[in-house]
Amino acid sequence: MSASGTVDSGLANREPHAPEATLDRPADYLHAESTLRSWFLTTDHKRIAILYLASITAFFIVGAVAAGVVRLALVVPNGAVMTNDTYNKAFTIHGVVMVWFFLIPSIPATFGNFLIPLMIGAKDLAFPKLNLTSWYVFMTGALFTMVSVVLGGIDTGWTFYAPLSTAFSNGWVLPALIGVTIVGFSSILTGLNFVVTIHTMRATGMTWFKLPIFVWTHYATSLIFLLATPVITTALILLIMERAFHIGVFDPAFGGDPVLFQHLFWFYSHPAVYIMVLPGMGVISEIVPAFAQKKLFGYRFVAYAAIGLASVTFFVWGHHMFINGQSDLASLAFSALSFAVAVPSAVKVYNWTATIHKGKLRLDTPMLYAMGYIGLFVLGGLTGLYLATLAINQHIHATYFVVAHFHYIMVGGTVLAFLGGLHFWWPKFTGRMYNEAWGRISALLIFLGFNVTFFPQFILGYLGMPRRYATYPPEFQLLNVLSSAGATILAAGYIFPMLYLVYSLWFGKKAPANPWDAKGLEWETASPPPTLNFTSPPVVPRVPYDYPIQEQETKAQHR
Amino acid sequence: MSARLADGVGTERAHHFETVAQQRYAATLGIWAWLITELLLFAALFLVALIVRIQHPEATQEAARHLKFWIGAVNTVVLIVSSLTMSMAIEFSRLGWQRAMVRAMLATAALGSLFLVLKGYEYYADYTEHMMPFLGSRPYELAASPASRLFVNLYYVATLLHGLHLLTGISLLLGMTWMASKAGFLSRHQNWIEIYGLYWHFIDLIWIMAFPILYVVNR
Repeated sequence: MSASGTVDSGLANREPHAPEATLDRPADYLHAESTLRSWFLTTDHKRIAILYLASITAFFIVGAVAAGVVRLALVVPNGAVMTNDTYNKAFTIHGVVMVWFFLIPSIPATFGNFLIPLMIGAKDLAFPKLNLTSWYVFMTGALFTMVSVVLGGIDTGWTFYAPLSTAFSNGWVLPALIGVTIVGFSSILTGLNFVVTIHTMRATGMTWFKLPIFVWTHYATSLIFLLATPVITTALILLIMERAFHIGVFDPAFGGDPVLFQHLFWFYSHPAVYIMVLPGMGVISEIVPAFAQKKLFGYRFVAYAAIGLASVTFFVWGHHMFINGQSDLASLAFSALSFAVAVPSAVKVYNWTATIHKGKLRLDTPMLYAMGYIGLFVLGGLTGLYLATLAINQHIHATYFVVAHFHYIMVGGTVLAFLGGLHFWWPKFTGRMYNEAWGRISALLIFLGFNVTFFPQFILGYLGMPRRYATYPPEFQLLNVLSSAGATILAAGYIFPMLYLVYSLWFGKKAPANPWDAKGLEWETASPPPTLNFTSPPVVPRVPYDYPIQEQETKAQHR
Repeated sequence: MSARLADGVGTERAHHFETVAQQRYAATLGIWAWLITELLLFAALFLVALIVRIQHPEATQEAARHLKFWIGAVNTVVLIVSSLTMSMAIEFSRLGWQRAMVRAMLATAALGSLFLVLKGYEYYADYTEHMMPFLGSRPYELAASPASRLFVNLYYVATLLHGLHLLTGISLLLGMTWMASKAGFLSRHQNWIEIYGLYWHFIDLIWIMAFPILYVVNR
């Protein structure tokens, strides 16, 4: 049936000797079994990744529709499109769903799940049943949150700040809180599985400094999952108790402290930014060398930078609270530490650009996303430095400047990396090639639409438009209309991939094992891989990123 | 991890591992990673309790004096002894003494249950003494001191969370004891006993931290 060896992929630099199609080849993971039971009770990390991919795509659509509602409301300054209550619920649903149900699981639970065992040459994650459990835990949490949305929604914002969420909100806060608490456990289980897998399941010869950066960044992410998530679980448990039984912990009338909630919340939620960003950095670190056909520049420093980011990120949570009455000394320390985050981030950006430099560049769809990512991440990162500056923060705190900043990181960064990775590994996941022309058009549309949507928000924020307001002064209308117009372009850019990727599942060309001439063990096995990943034990190359172009400039200097 | 095992103990492995040693290493690392997250879960709670104590020293002292110190103290001993019986179960499992192991596991489950019974009695006593401030409909003994209310509520959150862990632990232990009473268990799943033992000791350890933070520090 699967005669992948005879199909011409029509791509530049295609491997001239695709593997022979043989009859005794084991069925790939997609076709091994096809019953519903074989999907919903699977312990195969690849199938679980597909379950996650389908689920988070659904949540992405929910969150995107909510974002559309928000942008629709803000077309006019007087809030005439919908009630303020509806507006509040729309931006809360957008934030809650996008952060907790899309961005946090996005790359780790899908690509990480699928690729980590392949990249390290293992048959599966260390705990396959736990992996499946994590998906069910995730869906249970999602169910609670969706119940809250369906029953009438919540208006607390995704941060659930007390006392709004405890005493003053009338919505269905409890099910949403319970849902988010439960989802935390799925993160913990995924992180635990990754840490143990990376420590114990590497193939013979796969030493730490031969691991792809994708694995390094997922290791760093998993450490954050393990060390930060339990703290927000406690914070949310206390919040649930506060709302349900009014225990007083966040209520000043009983000696409690609402700012305490913010401390506990951001102790997790700032590191959570790196849960969302680090895996994306891993994806970019795989795409860029493949499409430059060049060894990743400064491999060890990129790996150290991942661990560095995961460490520093635990000590910057106070920068969310500069104007909340914390001491000047604390603010000063948090500000300085926040600046320190820029160092490992910049190491990564410089190393990607240095990898592109003098590479044999191919601008295929994944590379377009990767280059978009680098540009937008730089903008998002640099505006972060504005926000980390105490004096400027007083001016732009809780304005659209903040909204634009974190969307440059979350959408410009994580979502672009997600889409880039999806296109890069799509042949590996599905065994099919998508339409390259449509891929490039969509990548450019998303880049354009994203900038039109979010760049005006930097200006709006600088001019003083606060976030989360349903109305605004009329002089801000032009920029707001521009932003909403950009959102429609962005929406088109999201819809196209959903269509042509799904189309390719049935009608796409069969993919060879390694359509991009990329390095890494995941490209050594068939597309899609067999259930146990490799038919024979994979041979680990001498160096990671063993591309044709190997830092010639260094050799030239030493000559 | 490097414990000496008797012949025929812990010899089988799951399909995705290459060696038994790899499987045991993965399981040990996995449980330690889990315990670290659990520790942080409780650490955040204890941190909040300590912050409340620092901010409201008199109110917390007054509230802590109403907690049943002696029940807490006896329960501490009960859990420490249960950790001893669990350690014995682990040692028996390594030696391949399956019957002795099962008995030690049952003793552990019994001691854990004794803890819960005593804890339940303590809650009942708290209830009769009007020390359940989170019950909105029931008068509260120290109503004049709002911060004491907060501390007592935190006591309930912390002890209930710990009790929930213990209840889960006892259920798992009984389920495992039932499986462990069958032939061939030790060749397949000796590892479970080791892993589970770490979890049980952890529950014990959390109580050893909770007891001074809630009952003793303010005396």
